[in-house]
Formats: sequence, C-alpha cells, structure tokens
Amino acid sequence: MSGLFPMTMVQAQTSWRGKVLVGPIDATLEGQGATVIIGPNGSGKTTLLRLMHGTARLTGGEINWACGLEQARHHQGFVFQRPVMLRRSVLDNIAYPLLIRGMAKSRAHAMAADWADRIGLGDALDRPATVLSGGEQQKLAIARALITGPQVLFLDEPTASLDGQAKREIEQILLQERAKGTRLLMSTHDLGQARRLADDVMFLLHGRIHERGNASAFLGRPETHQARAFLKGDIVT
Amino acid sequence: MKCLAIACFLACLGTTTSARDVMKMAVTTSFHNSGLAEVLLPEIAKDLDIEVQLLVVGTGQAIRLGQSGDVDAILVHARAAEDAFVAQGFGTHRRDIMYNDFVIVGPTDDPARVRNATSASAALNVIAGAQVAFVSRGDDSGTHKKELALWRSAGLDPAGFGVWYKAVGAGMGAALNTTSGLNAYTLADRASWLNFRNKGDLVSLFAGDPDLFNQYGYLPVNPARHNHVRHDLAIQVESWLTSQTAAELINGYKIDGKNLFTFNASP
Repeated sequence: MSGLFPMTMVQAQTSWRGKVLVGPIDATLEGQGATVIIGPNGSGKTTLLRLMHGTARLTGGEINWACGLEQARHHQGFVFQRPVMLRRSVLDNIAYPLLIRGMAKSRAHAMAADWADRIGLGDALDRPATVLSGGEQQKLAIARALITGPQVLFLDEPTASLDGQAKREIEQILLQERAKGTRLLMSTHDLGQARRLADDVMFLLHGRIHERGNASAFLGRPETHQARAFLKGDIVT
Repeated sequence: MKCLAIACFLACLGTTTSARDVMKMAVTTSFHNSGLAEVLLPEIAKDLDIEVQLLVVGTGQAIRLGQSGDVDAILVHARAAEDAFVAQGFGTHRRDIMYNDFVIVGPTDDPARVRNATSASAALNVIAGAQVAFVSRGDDSGTHKKELALWRSAGLDPAGFGVWYKAVGAGMGAALNTTSGLNAYTLADRASWLNFRNKGDLVSLFAGDPDLFNQYGYLPVNPARHNHVRHDLAIQVESWLTSQTAAELINGYKIDGKNLFTFNASP
C-alpha cells in the first residue's frame, strides 16, 4: 500500500480562455494496479494525466493526495509520448535524475548500468542516447523515470508509433513494475494494450469520465452506447 | 543543510505531431509551474515549425545544462549567474524577455507590520526586528538567491539570525505549506502564490517594489563551445520570444484574472 493513495479528484478541471479542456472530474484512485485511460483523439487523455501529475494547472475543484501534493510530487515519474534525450550517453541519461539529487556519480552510474541491463541496453552504455531507435529511447525514458523509485508512474501513450517488438518489451517492463507495486496511470489508444495491462479503465469523452470500471467488465460489457461504439472501432464524437 | 529532492522532468509539450526541427531549452520550475509554457510552445510550433522540448529543473541546474551543451538555450532568472554564463563563453548573449514579481506573504494580522513598509528592504527589516517566523526556501533556487540579495540590501545576514528564520531546503509549494502551518512570513513568486491552494490565514502583504521584480533572461548556448547545438533554432526562437506575438501572449496570460508576467524585450 502506497502512502500517496488514495488520490481523490473532486470536481477537478482545467480550462483555458474560458474553455474547459478537462473536467469536472470526480474519481478516487487507490494505490495498486494499472489504470488505463482510453478515449477518442482530443478527449483529454493527456491533459487528464498531466492534471493528476500537477503539470497542467488546476483551474477548478481539487486533487488531493493522501500525503499532500508536495510529498506526492517527489514520488512520481512521468514518461511522455516522445521522450526527451539529453545529449549524453545512455548511462548518463539514465543516471541524470540521481545526479541532480546529489547522489555520488559512482553509485548513480552503477544503478544506471543495472537499469540499462534490465531494459536491454546494457551493451549500449556509452552510445549517445540521441541515436537510439524510438523503442530504445522510450525504454530509456522509462528507466530514467523509474530509477528514483517513484510510487506512481504516469505514461502518456508510451508505445505510440513503436513496432510490435518494442511495444512488447515495454509492456513487459511495465508489468514487472506493476507486480513490484508501482502504481501505473497511463493513456493509450491501443485497446489491445489496455486489455493486456489494465486493472481498471477510464473511458474519457469530451474531457469527462464517461464510464469507468474494472478492466474485464468494461472491456467485455461496457454500459454506455458510446463506450460500446468506441470498443467496436466506430468513430465516437 | 541537506537539500531535499529536486523536482526534474523532461517534457515535450504542445505538439501532437512531429515538427520538422527540435530545439532543447532548459527552464526553471517556477516558469514551468506558471503554465505559460503551455501557451507559448504550441504557438512557436505553429509559427516556426520548431518543437521546443523543455528540461524543467532548478536555475542552477538549467545553467549547468547550458554549460554542458545539453540544451540549445536557457530561460532563467538569476542575473548574476546569467552574466557569468555569457562572460565565460557558454552563452553567445543574453536577452531580457519578461519579468514577474515576488510578493511577501504573511499572516493576516501581520504582527511585524509589513503592510506599512515603504520598500522590500524595509519589510525584511521589520520582520527581523520583530523576530517573527520567516520561512526561507534555503535551496539555492532563483527565489532563494533573490531572498538573500534582499537581506543583503537590508544590511542583514541570515547567518546570524535566530530560530525564527527557518530555511526549509524545499520548493516553493513546500515552503508555502510550512509558512501556512507556522503562520509565518515568506517570499514567494507571484505565480506560485496565486496557484497555492492552502493559504489558510496567509495574505499577500507587500509587493510592487522594483527590487522584487524577477527578470527572465534568454541565453542561446554558444556553438563555439558546443558545435552540436542548434544555434540557428535558438536564434529563431529568440526572435519569436521578442516579437509582438509573444508580447501579446505573455501580457495576456492571467491566473484568476491577474497578470503574471510583463513582457519587456527590446526589439
């Protein structure tokens, strides 16, 4: 059980120039498993993740972490759809979050080398990270997010545009992390991935949670016609 | 004092499709927390077809990322360190972009009478005179550097202060939470203060002194030091950040109806 959870959202919303982008959202998240956010393009998946993470500004309502927002921020990681690589080696990229926290270089590099092994980049420690393939960069970004031991990991479409092999490898890493107790909150447009990873699913439509439920129940018997249509592959607006 | 964990993340904001060119820029957490990046970056992508990737770190770390050539430009607020960055050849030049300001917040009943102060230095002097609790970031951030400069201007040295001066070694949100818990005084950047949702009995007591202005500078990394940096993109983005388009977006950005930044780039 994590000290960050439960996390509750009460009428949480974010807006810009008078237009509500996401919300109001009312939901409670407990501290275990993987929650997958699905929905049509433009439904607000990325914005909802960033709102929960605190990198999108809350303009209404509340988001409360059990341990308080500031404490929660120190125990979160975020992996973006398109990872940003520092112009450094694979090893230095993975070690970076530890180094800026003041960890000794030798220890940080040892931990980074261990993580590089775990993600299949153990033979590429000295390679510039910027020349890695898309899948390798994404695995590096996940390792860099996990190396500080976050209790919750946000992932925004982490395997979008990757091939099947890279997707499988990344899902394997995420399943291992989930098994170790890391709370996963991720968005995806890939329903197969949602089936493979999710413990529960949020179906987002027009910036609101249209339906939410246990993954097998939701994916097997969605309650609303919009969710049924989305799962069938119809265009939902 | 042991520093607490430093927030850091590497973000790609505002683009859903791949732009042709990618530029990396290190920015401070206070700038990113203001939300202004989410307004500016999509417009830069639209106007210049440049995707600006942000590395969101503290001021000192942002400068180090520039020194090591990890980024193409930095946008920070620590004038002395910025001037040194250029003087040492790490940056080609420095350009003012905008400023926001700091506010001194404290308890509503204001036991030190900060409300009546005529300057930021005078405000700190009355706090020190009354020896009422004051919370310092104590984390070598831009805000902490500013606070120390203000104490110096007031002719005071925090090293000699008693237990009423509490350096927490933490970010702005944590420092404000401590201030709220202790019903103390602190120095906060306006964006963080406006976004802070646990104000309790705290109110903004003093603002407006030019000494409290917080100037943001843009510094392209010197390609003579790091020939891999995208200096061409950094210059294009500089032109955009100093344009009328940027001026309107920066001056028009508000939280709760209040302006956060004032554009002041020279043409």
